Amino acid sequence: MITLKNINKYYRQGDHRFHVLHDININIAQGELVAIIGESGSGKSTLINIIGFLDDDFEGTYFYQNHPIHDYTRKQFSSLRNQNVGFVFQNFKLLRESTVADNVALPLLYAGKRRKEIGTRVSEVLKQVGLAGYENQLPKNMSGGQQQRVSIARAISTHPKFLIADEPTGALDTETSQEIMNLFKHLNREEGTTIIMVTHDPHVAEQCDRVIKIIDGRVVSDSKDGERNANN
Amino acid sequence: MQIIELFKSAIQSLKANKKRSFLTIIGIMIGIAAVIAILGIGDGITKTMYDKFGNNAKQGQQTTEIAYNPDNVNSTVNGFTQEQLTDINTQFGGEIKNAEIEQESDNISTHADIGDTTKNVTLSLLKKPTHSVSLVAGKNFTKNDLEIGEANALMSEKVAKRQYGSAQNAIGTTVTANNVTYTVTGVYKSQEQFTDDGNQNSYGVDLLLPKSVYYQGDSAKEGNTLKLTFSQGTNASAISRKVAKYLKKNSPAATQGSYQYLDMEKALKQFSSQMSIITTFISFIAAISLFIAGIGVMNMMYISVSERTQEIGIRLAVGATPFNIMMQFLVEAVILTLTGGLLGFLCGAGLAHLLAPLLSSAIGGGGIHIHAHISLDAFLLAFGTSAAVGLVFGILPARQAANKNLIDILR
Repeated sequence: MITLKNINKYYRQGDHRFHVLHDININIAQGELVAIIGESGSGKSTLINIIGFLDDDFEGTYFYQNHPIHDYTRKQFSSLRNQNVGFVFQNFKLLRESTVADNVALPLLYAGKRRKEIGTRVSEVLKQVGLAGYENQLPKNMSGGQQQRVSIARAISTHPKFLIADEPTGALDTETSQEIMNLFKHLNREEGTTIIMVTHDPHVAEQCDRVIKIIDGRVVSDSKDGERNANN
Repeated sequence: MQIIELFKSAIQSLKANKKRSFLTIIGIMIGIAAVIAILGIGDGITKTMYDKFGNNAKQGQQTTEIAYNPDNVNSTVNGFTQEQLTDINTQFGGEIKNAEIEQESDNISTHADIGDTTKNVTLSLLKKPTHSVSLVAGKNFTKNDLEIGEANALMSEKVAKRQYGSAQNAIGTTVTANNVTYTVTGVYKSQEQFTDDGNQNSYGVDLLLPKSVYYQGDSAKEGNTLKLTFSQGTNASAISRKVAKYLKKNSPAATQGSYQYLDMEKALKQFSSQMSIITTFISFIAAISLFIAGIGVMNMMYISVSERTQEIGIRLAVGATPFNIMMQFLVEAVILTLTGGLLGFLCGAGLAHLLAPLLSSAIGGGGIHIHAHISLDAFLLAFGTSAAVGLVFGILPARQAANKNLIDILR
């Protein structure tokens, strides 16, 4: 589904150019639950932003279901994001002044859905993440775990092909983290949603099918390769 | 994204910052209100003038008058006779709907012999008895009096007192006007020359005489004022001018006086064009406040964009296109200015209606009452201008919002 070839990424800071990602080559298939781990500053967030069509400024080729993403315009990226990816962020990134229902409805609105359809879909996904009946709450009055559930509900509302989660448990305690992880695992197993997450929590990473480790912008290990190597 | 959702979310965002939105709206409101009030009063003045002095175009037909002024004030020559009426009808029959010699009955200025002295007086003629005057001495006209055609007259208290010392003394004296001698049978309380709504008061005159007696014999068919009626759409002014010119050449009375057509329409056109120059100029000055308000809108939108960076990021991340984001902020700006514009229109209209009467009393009455006139054009102007202000001053902040770098926001 996702094929990254020789991805290089530079950050410009004044006259300096930082080489953040070095020749990244990754293939991710439908239905995988992937964890990308690494130290802070290793470039894992940068990588996941590229995978999630958030960052279009990179070198190399990126084929998503045979679409040449590297050639797409900014507008095409918007609809691609809307229809294919769901995002879960470390700090939830919810509209704090809008209700839970409005937050979850946001991607559906931009997809051009009708209000009636949106209403049913919103209740559906809220039930799925265990927040049935929370439609009219404000995110600012909810706990971190609940907010993250809202954000997951928002991410899956458009039936995306894959989920991108940047440190989804980073702001949560161990118990809540586990709840969120269970939710992810459930989505992956029952719904077949591909999930790619960045984490530096080893406990979270070990629950994933596949772990990709990045150090200083280079892929140093990939458990799938390991399996493959082992099989060979 | 559906348009209705765009408006809903824009209103929601504006509500989230009530005070700021309110202040921005007030700015626009003041600007629009100033322009509308000035235009309303300006239009009102022009319209009042037309209503008062125009060719009565609003009644579906137009009327003009040609007046004959004899050179010798005491002359009894009449400018218009039946003969001339036929003449005019044959000459201009196709263009004029109707021509008639007007027998004025209200507020006629003429000479009259009151007792021994000849005086300039104003008088009104009555066909029916009136209760609009209150008698201080003698008795009022009865229906019978007027039908029989008794040469009786009513005199105003003011004239009676000046001439005879008291109202009672005037009863039984005589007044001679238009070669008829009348006996004063009553004296009435003097009235103002103008009514409260600014029209001439036909009872605010020196004498009231029976119409059937005043216009007798030849004078019943002759007069010094010709009233022409035209169909709607004809050029009444031009034809009336032609008629006046024709009369000057061909009428036997032209040697002893002059025919005059006072072209009010032409004067009014000049007046209204001058008026519109003045209103435009003042509106232009008022529009400066609108410009400043526009800058206020821009300022607010810039602040809003930078405050809501996170929101923009979230929206972009879940699939909003840059165009969606731009529209959202643009719609917010336009909603602000339109609300201000419509409120401003209402305030301006109210202000104009409030100021116009003050203005007419400042002019000193003179029988002219100015009513503000708010036209549909003014409404469209307010609507259009405020929308345009929103677009013009909203576009830059909106574009800034749309072009924000998603990665920078989300980092």
